[in-house]
Amino acid sequence: MKEQVSILFPPDLEEASMIICWQGDPGKLGSLVSKFLLDHLKARIFGEINPEHFFTLAGVIVEDDIAQFPVSRFYAGQRRDIVIFESNQPQIERYRFLSCLLDTGEYYCRVKEIYALGGISTTIAHTSPHRLMVVYNQPELRDKLQQFELVATNWEGPPAVNSYVLWLAQRRNTPAISIWAEVAFYLAGVGDWKAVKSVLSFLDRRFGLGFDFSTIDRQIKLQNEQLVRLREQNPEVDRYIRTLEVGLSLTEEEQLSLNGSVSDFLG
Amino acid sequence: MSIKIYQELFLRSPDLICGWPGIGRIGILAVDYLRRAIAATEFAEIEPWEFFEPRRVVIQEGLLKRVDFPENKFYYRKFDDRDILLFIGEEQPASGGNLYGAGEKAYRLANLVLDVAEKFGCRRVYTSGAAVTQIHHLLKPRVWAVPNDSDMIAEIRNYENTVLMSEVEDRRGQGMITGLNGLLLGAARKRGIRALCLMGEIPYYLQASPWSYPAASISVLEVLNRMLQIDIDLIPLHEMAKKVNESIEAFLTNLYESDMIPPQIRTQIRDSIEKMKSIRQSSGPITEEDRRLIMEHIDELFKKGEKGDERTS
Repeated sequence: MKEQVSILFPPDLEEASMIICWQGDPGKLGSLVSKFLLDHLKARIFGEINPEHFFTLAGVIVEDDIAQFPVSRFYAGQRRDIVIFESNQPQIERYRFLSCLLDTGEYYCRVKEIYALGGISTTIAHTSPHRLMVVYNQPELRDKLQQFELVATNWEGPPAVNSYVLWLAQRRNTPAISIWAEVAFYLAGVGDWKAVKSVLSFLDRRFGLGFDFSTIDRQIKLQNEQLVRLREQNPEVDRYIRTLEVGLSLTEEEQLSLNGSVSDFLG
Repeated sequence: MSIKIYQELFLRSPDLICGWPGIGRIGILAVDYLRRAIAATEFAEIEPWEFFEPRRVVIQEGLLKRVDFPENKFYYRKFDDRDILLFIGEEQPASGGNLYGAGEKAYRLANLVLDVAEKFGCRRVYTSGAAVTQIHHLLKPRVWAVPNDSDMIAEIRNYENTVLMSEVEDRRGQGMITGLNGLLLGAARKRGIRALCLMGEIPYYLQASPWSYPAASISVLEVLNRMLQIDIDLIPLHEMAKKVNESIEAFLTNLYESDMIPPQIRTQIRDSIEKMKSIRQSSGPITEEDRRLIMEHIDELFKKGEKGDERTS
């Protein structure tokens, strides 16, 4: 682990819950949630997983005119019971990367449980409620989180990185939960603020954080107003969104068209 | 990273036969058929997570039930005189941008397999794969045998339908075995363990096909039958080979009539493939130009899937 992880200073944490946010997931959920958490918890970076072992590093990706570089950083702030891990998903050696993540959590943060967050692109309208799906790695967690309106999922297929985290944590007997926020598919690339708020509200209640959501509410309002304008300007977009609002589905072609129009307008 | 042995065994000078997926699934089909034919019992596995990505997760009502990885299992079967160990890997590992069955992970996996071979005092290790060559699919595939020790050469010469690299047309004893089949031979040589790779011939125009190529697996098993002094029934595999040949014939008929290929080229492809029915050579009777034409057009028609990369070249 030593050569793969750099620790700037040992964090002052006790029985912490680790919140994992992945950059680049649908609705920009990971990056928007982590930014809010880092700001509101006044969290500082205390360590990182070094990228050369887990990313191909074949050049850089440019996003919104800015050259990006993979990050995998640990943060701690005012709360001694919360550690935040913000990262790009590893491109290679996922097992070793996730083992480093859990080793660091155990060794430096005395992590007692893990919350792995993610966005899931679905055919809901942005105006519809954004549910939170949940996966547990221990049956007892279901009772523990019963008071939250989390939707238990069924899935058989290729595992997402969060399922891999849960499985590795299960092998270490560490309780872990993945929370998947529904994201309106046409906001998957530009950010779905309502999905971001649903995840932050869960964390707020779970950890008693007392967050002020006014900045997020403003973003939701602004996004809604922009989409109202687009619907007024573009009757086809309005028809597609109305179809989703009444719970009907769109063809693949219609989905592509809606996605393109929204991305062009908001992007 | 570890080997999990469920059952301690006392085995008498066993041979270890290894199979992985690769071109035509020749090696894994042969070894898995052998496993069933001799009713071998599973007794150990290599934990897969450091080598492979998980394939599937099962989540039921919100609870993570299971994550499945490609399996890498050892089997044994005791016989009167000498015992047999089998190793079947469902995937060949890749690391650091290497092809399947190459790089640091593949070398580590090969060494774990050899650790088991040494633990049980294996006399010899066999691997099996594909020899991509100019052969018609209706001809009986030969087995190219490559040992890692010159002591085995004389024995190999005694087996029917088996050739050394020096006996393969234009090879002059040279070549390369890629993937775990080759790597295991090399790693075994480094440890002083005798090992032998048996490669069943597959027509080069089928190397990207989605089908298994049981005709070559049969040839490999015929050689193993004699080397291991066992007598497994190959009739079910012959029936499978017959069905695959029917699919190949149907595929080639479609290819010869395909509107996607200009008529002149279709004729050239058909003539080149048909010529191979009567003669077996690695260079000729078709030219390199014929070969290029066939591969260009056949590759377009086959839906290429992910598979291991084992071949001789």
